[in-house]
Amino acid sequence: MNDTVLLLPLLFTILGAVLAALFSSSTLQKKVSMPVQGWLVGLTPLAAFVYLFWQLERINAGEILQLSIPWIAELGISFALYLDGLSILFGLIISGIGVLVIVYAGYYFTGDSSAWRFLAYMMLFMTSMLGTVMAGDVILMFVFWEGTSITSYLLIGYKYKDEAARRGAFKALFITAGGGIPLLAGLIIVSSIAGGTDLATILSSGDLLRSSPLYLVMLALVAFGAFTKSAQTPAHIWLPDAMTAPTPASAYLHSATMVKAGIYLMARLNPALGNTEAWFWLLSLFGLATMVTGAYLGLKQNDLKALLAYSTISQLGALMMLIGQDTAEAFKALIIGILAHALYKSALFLTAGIVDHETGTRDLRRLGNLYRIMPFTFGVGLLASLSMAGLPPLFGFLAKETLLVTVVHESAPQITRLLFTGAALFTGALLLAQSLMLLFDTFLGQRKDASLHPHEAPIGMWLAPAIPAVLSLAVGVLPEPVWLATLLARAAGAAYGSAVSVSLALWHGINIPLILSLIAITVGLIIFYHRFTVRGWQAAIDRGFTYNAWYQGALNLVDSGAFRVTRTQNGYLRQYLVVMLLGMAILIGLFRALPAVSLAAVTWPDEFLSMATLIFTFRISLLSIAVIAAFLSITMERDLPAVLALGASGLAVALVILVEPAPDVALVQIVVDVLSVVILILTLTRLPRPQRERAFDLNVSRVAFPKWDLLVALGSFAVVSLVTFVALTSRPRESLITPLYEANALLLGTKDIVGAILVDFRALDTLIEVAVFSMAGIGAYTLIQYASRTAGDKVESPAVDHKVKVPLRIVVGIKGIGGQDTSSLLHGLAYVSLPLAVVLAAVHIMFGHDQPGDGFTAGVLISLAVGFWYVVFGYNSTKEQLGHWLKPTILVGAGLMLIVVSGVSAFFLDGNFLGHVDYGKLIGIDDWLPGAFHLSTALLFELAIALAVLGGATAVIDALGRPQENTPDLLVHLENLTILASRGEISIPEQEQWESEDSDWTASGDR
Amino acid sequence: MELLIALAIGAMFGIGIFQLLRRNVIRSAIGLIIISNAINLFLLSAGAYEGVAVAYLDAVGQRSDALPQVLVLTAIVISMGGFATVLAMLYVISARYKTSDLDDVKRLRH
Repeated sequence: MNDTVLLLPLLFTILGAVLAALFSSSTLQKKVSMPVQGWLVGLTPLAAFVYLFWQLERINAGEILQLSIPWIAELGISFALYLDGLSILFGLIISGIGVLVIVYAGYYFTGDSSAWRFLAYMMLFMTSMLGTVMAGDVILMFVFWEGTSITSYLLIGYKYKDEAARRGAFKALFITAGGGIPLLAGLIIVSSIAGGTDLATILSSGDLLRSSPLYLVMLALVAFGAFTKSAQTPAHIWLPDAMTAPTPASAYLHSATMVKAGIYLMARLNPALGNTEAWFWLLSLFGLATMVTGAYLGLKQNDLKALLAYSTISQLGALMMLIGQDTAEAFKALIIGILAHALYKSALFLTAGIVDHETGTRDLRRLGNLYRIMPFTFGVGLLASLSMAGLPPLFGFLAKETLLVTVVHESAPQITRLLFTGAALFTGALLLAQSLMLLFDTFLGQRKDASLHPHEAPIGMWLAPAIPAVLSLAVGVLPEPVWLATLLARAAGAAYGSAVSVSLALWHGINIPLILSLIAITVGLIIFYHRFTVRGWQAAIDRGFTYNAWYQGALNLVDSGAFRVTRTQNGYLRQYLVVMLLGMAILIGLFRALPAVSLAAVTWPDEFLSMATLIFTFRISLLSIAVIAAFLSITMERDLPAVLALGASGLAVALVILVEPAPDVALVQIVVDVLSVVILILTLTRLPRPQRERAFDLNVSRVAFPKWDLLVALGSFAVVSLVTFVALTSRPRESLITPLYEANALLLGTKDIVGAILVDFRALDTLIEVAVFSMAGIGAYTLIQYASRTAGDKVESPAVDHKVKVPLRIVVGIKGIGGQDTSSLLHGLAYVSLPLAVVLAAVHIMFGHDQPGDGFTAGVLISLAVGFWYVVFGYNSTKEQLGHWLKPTILVGAGLMLIVVSGVSAFFLDGNFLGHVDYGKLIGIDDWLPGAFHLSTALLFELAIALAVLGGATAVIDALGRPQENTPDLLVHLENLTILASRGEISIPEQEQWESEDSDWTASGDR
Repeated sequence: MELLIALAIGAMFGIGIFQLLRRNVIRSAIGLIIISNAINLFLLSAGAYEGVAVAYLDAVGQRSDALPQVLVLTAIVISMGGFATVLAMLYVISARYKTSDLDDVKRLRH
């Protein structure tokens, strides 16, 4: 069942992309020329081709190769591959033409050392395309599908300096990826109804899908994706613009492979979604319109590639129409059409590329008479264009014949026979005229522009299109190869849903299709002969009408809509916040997640004067203090008291937590609160006070009292209170996991359950938490340094010679932070506080497992003492005395490293990364240690947390404690200078002039 | 009890929002801390058990729920880290635009 070797083709093509990317190295580029690169990279699709060819025997015998690797198991999505007749036919086309195109591209880009990029994109595209047709899971298929859109975007925009290329690339991505989203929606609906995302399930639940009430919705969504991808009218407009891609890409993506993805998808899903009225009308009519539009517009073109693009559109329309027919004949015609088109169209594109490459133009009005100079290219072009014209004995003839058989066949619905036959005749005639035009105006007749200096292409270049062109002939004239007929029958059968017989014989005697064919050829020859007159009529008929005007109009509408919406953004960030809060409130209201609030759920303590009442009263008082203090932080007019009020509020919260009772949390809350206040005050010292006072906007006497803010705040109060109340009254009163943790803590011999969870059970969380904290500290440090540098401060650390030992003494004349004098008493306190903090921290670390307190508290305690030093001794003196051990980044690194080391040691001793190991017990010294002290991983962990936190916190304190030398006075000075200079009162030399804010910003960033 | 806690948390949240909406950067930073205090209090109150004893194995009586305590502990530390970063960013903005008034900072618009 699981054929893991199915992965091989995809692996080969990825390998090709990697190989191509290797040539980005300039040393390799010098050694390996571009054509050789092409040959080397081309080996990988060749391997994929050979592998697929080798599987042909099994496929032809009726086997379906499958592989399924679980991918997103929760959603039932797997990395599944599915190889049957239809997929292998596409796979062979993709890899086979892929080889030719890659080799060709090597010659095409000769001398362009950056072309490895092209090869790499091509190989990535090939991987996506192979993945699309081999995927056995619709979600996986979608991923690859989008991969083709993206790589196609890269390839069309390959010449990114050319604006037309960029525009063409955007258009292709906009339309095909725009179709991808509905497709995804459609596929999700399909798989949810079918009961699985794997192809086999979906293909076998056709009846279920067709009878579903959502059938039309999913059909429309899926068809939308397929139509945009396969350039069906009116979404076809991206394909001609995509011709700005280098020709090898056009030959590959826009004729043989990517545009066929939509055809593949519809053919693939035909057994599941097809065979209904809606399917028939939708596909047939769109296909018909596309077929006729493409053929009609193609005749107008003068550019070789544009002509080929429109005939491709026409062909894609014909194929889509055939899928809509839903008869065995139609699927036979479909499969033959796909193969024939892939062969002749890629050959023609590559020929066009050669002509362009060797003459410098693709304009039919300048070319002509090339057959003498480029005989081989002419030969290839002759075969391919005759096949496109649908003339015997080429493969294209067979394709056209089977198409005509389909539309006149009795199984075709009566109503449509006439319309379809007429359209097919019309298209056939126009395509014949176009292919003759292409052949004649390029290779025969008179050269229209004498300034061209064409020459024959190197063999590697014309050999690539020669192979598919010769194959077009070989299929027609050689005796029918049985394996090919069987393969085509398998492919058609897979798409049709039951067996289809395919014969490749050209001659079926004189019948209606043959007569129709003759009519088409005659009309085509007449059109060709009078082509200039006909094109004159065309120009007169559709003067001024293009589909692109509609596309552009739609885009402009989007742009102007976006413009209007962004006008509502006024730049006031605070108002954005209000909008977000309102949105949240509305969402809460919309979802009605809140059950009715009943005051009956409110519990009051029943026993008065009991312990519970005491705690209750205590709690209420503390909560009131927290709220009142927070409120005071609003009303305080100066910032320092406001910050202190905040600190008081935070401490009250800590006490509420203590009453919970949760002493560990309360402890951390206390130290965090103090640290926040310290950092805030340090920041205050760095922002000039007048500047801050200007920004104080709360003044009841002023007219500008923020009423709206008050309203928002009251609204938040109401919503949050309500949500909290509902959440608290309806929470479960029995925990599932807490008893488990308690039991496990007992096993470890730890008394503190919170501590045990932190460092033993959820240690990975704690590791990440500590990492986040220390990274945030270092990040803040960097930001503040950056800001100081912008302001013109000196940020280099003072040069301190640590070899000179500074004795522990009370230094006279030391200035504290901000250059203020500090008393000797404070100096003494600082000298005492740091060792005291270290001892306290050590106790926390050692006994944190049985007592409140942990490494985090320990780290913050030491940081606070260090912060005190900065305040008392000033920056330079502190650095001088503590700088030899206080290196924030090293502390953070050491801390995180220690956690990992302890975790890994636990992995070896206990079997779990970050598990619990008691080293003391392990080496038998546990009994000698004090009772509550254990030499364990937990101890190491707490120590490591303390180190990392110390590093993170002191980084912030260090950055904020730096003296400001240049701000704000120098800034004011410089600004004044600028003002004076702008008034012309003084003159400043150009290079010294205070730059504008923007240039100052970028310049300082580069420094 | 739940009603009072809910009102207190709501009040703190509202005050925090009000502060966050001030033009002064320092007040915005204060608002951020008050909001995170309110949220942490909420998380802690959501514990399953109405504890009268600490979450220690040798404690007598109904222990408080250890799980939300651990989560809140982590939340406090992380919000402290976040606060430090936001404050540093506010400081950068202040130094860059030479103002403490967030309404003067409208460069994001264009």
